[in-house]
Amino acid sequence: MAPPPNGMQELMEQVELFEKTANLSASINDVHNTIDLLTTARAKIAADPQTAPLTLAKLQDPLKKSLEAAQKDIKPIYSGLGKYGKALDKRFKDKPLPTAENDALSSHPQLINRAIAMHLLREGEFSVASTFIQEANRHPPHAEPTLNTPNPYLNESWEKDIAEGTFNSEKLQEQFAEMYHILHELRQEKNLGPAIEWARARSDILEARGSNLEFELCRLQFVCLFSGHGTDGEDQLMDGTLHGPLQAWTYARREFGSFQRRYAKEVQKLMGALAYHENVPESPYGNYFSNDTAWEEVATSFTREFCSLLGLSADSPLYIAATAGAIALPHLLKLQSIMEKTRTEWTTQNELPVEIPLPPSYHFHSIFVCPVSKEQSTDQNPPMMMPCGHVIADESLQRLSKGARFKCPYCPSESHPRDAKKVFL
Amino acid sequence: MAELTTTKLNAESHLLLDQPLLRMPYELSRRNQKTAQRYVENGTKDLLTTLAATTKAATKSASPDATLTSIDSMISKMQGLKRKLESLHEEEVKIHRSNKARLQHLQHLYEVQSLVDVKYDEWSRIRLSRLLVDYLLREGYSQSAAHLAASQGIEELVDVDAFVACHRIEKNLREEQSTTLALNWCRDNAKELKKVGSMLEFELRLQQYIELVRQGHVAGIGDVYMDGEADGMNGVSLGGAGGETKLVEARAHAKKYLSASGDFDLLGRAAGLLAYKPWDDVEPYASLYSSSRWDHLAHLFLTTHHNLYSLPPRPLLHIALSAGLSALKTPACHSAYTSSSANASSSTTSVCPICSTELNELARNVPYAHHTKSIVENDPVVLPNGRIYGRDRLRLFNEKIGTERGWVRDPVEGVKGDKWRESEVRKVFVM
Repeated sequence: MAPPPNGMQELMEQVELFEKTANLSASINDVHNTIDLLTTARAKIAADPQTAPLTLAKLQDPLKKSLEAAQKDIKPIYSGLGKYGKALDKRFKDKPLPTAENDALSSHPQLINRAIAMHLLREGEFSVASTFIQEANRHPPHAEPTLNTPNPYLNESWEKDIAEGTFNSEKLQEQFAEMYHILHELRQEKNLGPAIEWARARSDILEARGSNLEFELCRLQFVCLFSGHGTDGEDQLMDGTLHGPLQAWTYARREFGSFQRRYAKEVQKLMGALAYHENVPESPYGNYFSNDTAWEEVATSFTREFCSLLGLSADSPLYIAATAGAIALPHLLKLQSIMEKTRTEWTTQNELPVEIPLPPSYHFHSIFVCPVSKEQSTDQNPPMMMPCGHVIADESLQRLSKGARFKCPYCPSESHPRDAKKVFL
Repeated sequence: MAELTTTKLNAESHLLLDQPLLRMPYELSRRNQKTAQRYVENGTKDLLTTLAATTKAATKSASPDATLTSIDSMISKMQGLKRKLESLHEEEVKIHRSNKARLQHLQHLYEVQSLVDVKYDEWSRIRLSRLLVDYLLREGYSQSAAHLAASQGIEELVDVDAFVACHRIEKNLREEQSTTLALNWCRDNAKELKKVGSMLEFELRLQQYIELVRQGHVAGIGDVYMDGEADGMNGVSLGGAGGETKLVEARAHAKKYLSASGDFDLLGRAAGLLAYKPWDDVEPYASLYSSSRWDHLAHLFLTTHHNLYSLPPRPLLHIALSAGLSALKTPACHSAYTSSSANASSSTTSVCPICSTELNELARNVPYAHHTKSIVENDPVVLPNGRIYGRDRLRLFNEKIGTERGWVRDPVEGVKGDKWRESEVRKVFVM
């Protein structure tokens, strides 16, 4: 039975109770009363020393009472905490604190530190990153060997860079600072200038990658000029309605030349729109000029290109990995408890024993699982395509064919294993 | 259908990493309450005794001045108690505020249904920041931790103060080789430590004993030199008074703190220290004298501390990352061949996080994810060089780079690579 889906409600109510009543303010009041009693008694005795024995004797009882009240008023905190503790245990029943098993990371603290430094930089946390790099260089971490990685110093050379303070964070920081500057101009200032400049400087690489970024940016610039946002410079004297389209036209003549080959059609469309400048939204070109998400789209595609050129993924790998880890943990925990119950051990060292269902956005590479052996392909056991177009793993191919002509397990065609071709997914 | 099952978020089972988040304020509240109770109990007892004594003295006709002084001291004691309670109350308010923020943060997850919801993304980013701060604190990078927490506005969700206090004690042991702070901590947590049968205090007392013996021996040397009797000095027969006093002190210390342990084996070794000097290099005494014992003590303190506050022994970031690296890793991530489906060389794919510089080496030693079914792009086709692509993506790429009609280029090779006729592109069957 699943627990009632009230989330953290029960615990929250208890904390609110602490805040309202079950706290120390009552006891503080009691102590305050005690002080008042004492002060009054003192005044009385000071005024008339004769009354001292009587006053003091009379003080005995109320003083005791008020201090007992102070003790009693702590009780609700105590019992409240007891209740809260039980509710907490219940909430996390069957959810043990994660153990340190399969921790392959403790042996590579330098790498974790580097990953964190890069994460902070790419998230734009420049000042936190510099605090961290200073602190980490001052106190380099100690590697702890763990079960899965017996020798933490195996790959010393590549771990050294951060340990010796040679991790080139400055360059990376410069790069990401540029990225954030450009993104800021795009998103907040609606200024395409820096982005276009960046893309133009890398025109060849971007083109080779099949990226449209430069054109997309210039097209957006054209649209902006057309609708009168973003002035291109000096000519302020133009009269209102024609001002925008004329500027756009000037811009297109000046800048679109290099796009003629790849984007002839697109450029044609944009120029066609000029004819409708009086009522673009109703024209066949309307959709080019009313795209609200255009800015966010170019910002995203800029970020992706920028990171890719640095060999980095567009979203922080640390973020994706930690999130995937949180999704995977319940499954791994279940596996662990089953293995404990059945006293079995995990036999496949290189591969997790269970499938972790991650959302499709967490799939990056294509996966080939051989339909014959059910094994994933690796460099040693690559996928092979037979002349009929069916793919099986190399080992399966060898086993089925035994070096001679054989029938494809999925269709009637026969072939020789040497006609099979290695493929890359 | 498959998509639905993999994107559904079950908050109940998702909160595995978050128990420590709530344990800490709970433990702190408990300690706060206990301290308050102790203050009030002691204050009450003290006051009632003083009052009784004062009354008695007053009846026996003590001078009025003495009575007034005694009342004044009672008042100031009560004011002291009030001040102490007030500061505990402040602490209490702070703990509850932070606990509430934590509960709210966790509650937010219950309001998200799907892993692909933007709200989950936001939540998970906050979680990553929490895990990072936790990691930084554990590694002793408190400045960075505080800085990150402030910059992300998650101060209520992390335990900077608790870790800073913990590290001060650890540093006191490891670097300053002093037991003072650790013993104070043991005193503050005596009851809890006893309940879990912790050996920390014993080990600290043993270290104090070792240091006394060491000082005794070192001082002894000086005495011996002054006496000019360097020869024939063996065993316990020490000459000088300075050394001897220290050793006597050490014995008294052992009697007071160590003998109750009942570990005769260890007590025997401890006694042996009196006979063997730190520079004798004889086991097992050498390892008792060794300065590595301070590292051992620091480590023992950390484990004890984390246990007491229900903090997991290793950073939560390690746990999340280890699981995540494996869940994401594929054989292609450390392959000698460029993957067709995720690489940095074409804008039609994004770089895989495991292939990205940050994590690639870190993931080298973890197992890769298990899959029972192939996952390939729709309508896969193969180029003459063996590379497989989804037909749409291949077409899109070639349109973007402006390949002539009737020809195709490989997205990995780009414009500079080979060019084939469209007829050479074959359909491939991946089952």
